[in-house]
Amino acid sequence: MISATTAPARAVVPDRWARLLPWAGWLVFAALLAVPLVVSSRYVVYLGTLLALQAGLATSLNLIIGIAGQFALSHAAFYGIGAYASALLIEHAGLGFWASLLPALAIAGVLAAAIGWPALRYTGGIHFALITFACGELLRLLAANWDDLTGGPQGKRLPYSPEPLLGIDFSSGQGMYVLAAALLLLTLGVVAAIRWSRFGRALVAIREDEVLAASLGIAVTRNKVAAFVASSMLAALAGAVYAPFAGFISPEMMSTGESVAMVGMLIVGGIGTLGGPIVGTLIFFAVPEFLRVAKFYRLVILGVVIVVMVLFLPQGVVGLATKFRRRRRASVAEAS
Amino acid sequence: MWLDIVQTASDGLMVGGLYASVALGITLVFGLVGMLNFAHGQMVMLGAYVAFFTTAAGLGFWVGLGLAIIAMALFGALLERAVFRRTLSDPMMGLTVSLGLIMIIENLAAAWFTPDPRFMEPPLSGDVRLGPLVLSSQRLLVMALTTALIGGFYLFLKATTLGKAIRAMAQNRQGAALVGVKVTRVSAVIFAIGSGLAGAAGALYGSLFAISPFMGTAPLMKGFILAAFGGLGSVPGAIIAGCLLGLAESFGSRYLSASFRDGYGFVVLILTLLFMPNGLFGKRKARV
Repeated sequence: MISATTAPARAVVPDRWARLLPWAGWLVFAALLAVPLVVSSRYVVYLGTLLALQAGLATSLNLIIGIAGQFALSHAAFYGIGAYASALLIEHAGLGFWASLLPALAIAGVLAAAIGWPALRYTGGIHFALITFACGELLRLLAANWDDLTGGPQGKRLPYSPEPLLGIDFSSGQGMYVLAAALLLLTLGVVAAIRWSRFGRALVAIREDEVLAASLGIAVTRNKVAAFVASSMLAALAGAVYAPFAGFISPEMMSTGESVAMVGMLIVGGIGTLGGPIVGTLIFFAVPEFLRVAKFYRLVILGVVIVVMVLFLPQGVVGLATKFRRRRRASVAEAS
Repeated sequence: MWLDIVQTASDGLMVGGLYASVALGITLVFGLVGMLNFAHGQMVMLGAYVAFFTTAAGLGFWVGLGLAIIAMALFGALLERAVFRRTLSDPMMGLTVSLGLIMIIENLAAAWFTPDPRFMEPPLSGDVRLGPLVLSSQRLLVMALTTALIGGFYLFLKATTLGKAIRAMAQNRQGAALVGVKVTRVSAVIFAIGSGLAGAAGALYGSLFAISPFMGTAPLMKGFILAAFGGLGSVPGAIIAGCLLGLAESFGSRYLSASFRDGYGFVVLILTLLFMPNGLFGKRKARV
């Protein structure tokens, strides 16, 4: 009350800025998305494609962790499954890239349901986290040891690129970038649509309190499994796009370390928010990329950034901006 | 045939003891205090390096082992104070913080110690012959040392006041606080003990296998598997689970497939979690 009477003028001006903050954020995002289309430097296009894919991956992980509150550590494994399934279908079944996507997604979806159904019956994150962790590692070991099919731990070279579609040639760097950006936008769209649907509201209710959600008539396990399947399928889609972009896949991309790093991106960016995974990905990849110091020290600095952010900014960058905006709005409402 | 089985079993128990000493630290820190420290594996790595440099400086393996335990216990106490105490409310925070810590520790180690693998001079060499059995002396020594470590720790839990306080906290954190256990301080001690155990495990690992800045991942994963398998917070659970996993791995790789060695643990873990969600000895409250 006191602050409201003493500083109303100061509160109003930042409020206008604060309300613009998310719009400004998305504007910057749109501008960043357009950069690799305008600047044709190979490095910029390459980095843009990588960032778009990683941001898509983090956004899809946000669906199960941020919105549904279930701690999945198998995301990298499904990313790899998408890549391997699509590549193997193209190589052995003679399918085209686009035709391979649907069966690859179906494989990932069935696997996710098979893992999620028994694992998600339990309340409390640790069982699900450990089971997905173990399943993810098993899948990686399978990819590394099934030499005849996957090419073993050395990985697999992939000579193909997606067939032209809508007049876009995907064999060029910029063509792949368009595909990766489209994947990111699609993932964002799907996650946003889920978030503000009945399904998404049920997931948020489950995240906040499973018992309460169940008492309201929400089928808790079924909703959790559906969220896990959707999230894993989106990861597999990102993997299928990654395969022709990198031209090389190996079981390394499925390691649990990668999944844990994705969780880190979510928390740094702001878990459960729409923009958070993108901001987190940018911090994770852009900070080391632009720090021109020796290889090991870049990661050290990134580690320091993560520790400091988690200790002093636990809601993440986007979470902090949201909170700032809400508080401003509240104090203005009080003043008027 | 029988010879082979006994040989495989003794190998399994030896590795199992190492696993158990890592798992003990994790089950204590995560199960009792509720701090999710993924950087536990990096403590194993640092412990191995401490032992390596001490041995290389000519002070011998035993000084190295002692220094590794003390250094890691101090480092653990420092980490608990500076970082993990602030993440108590949210295990997710603990996970992310330890992810950052792993990056810092691993890459600093890689920059300072170079990423090349190193090999430590073991204090014992040669084999011991027990009738037709051939056992490596160093492996026997490691087995004896892990047994001594675990046994000593068990005595500490059973016989000392501090050990009693830890057991009280394991049963009921609030109840322990009500009867005068200084929960925060005991938590710090548990963290330091867990880290010291990791340091000891590191020194022993280093006497058998190659030492490199990225060696911490495998013991960490196994430690988490075992902590869950044995029941979070259960000391006998972690020990028995460690031995069982060691046996499963050595028999699996001897008789099934060696390249899938790390997979057997995961199969065990998945089955346990599905059919015995609280682990072998876990209490019903085992959850985050």
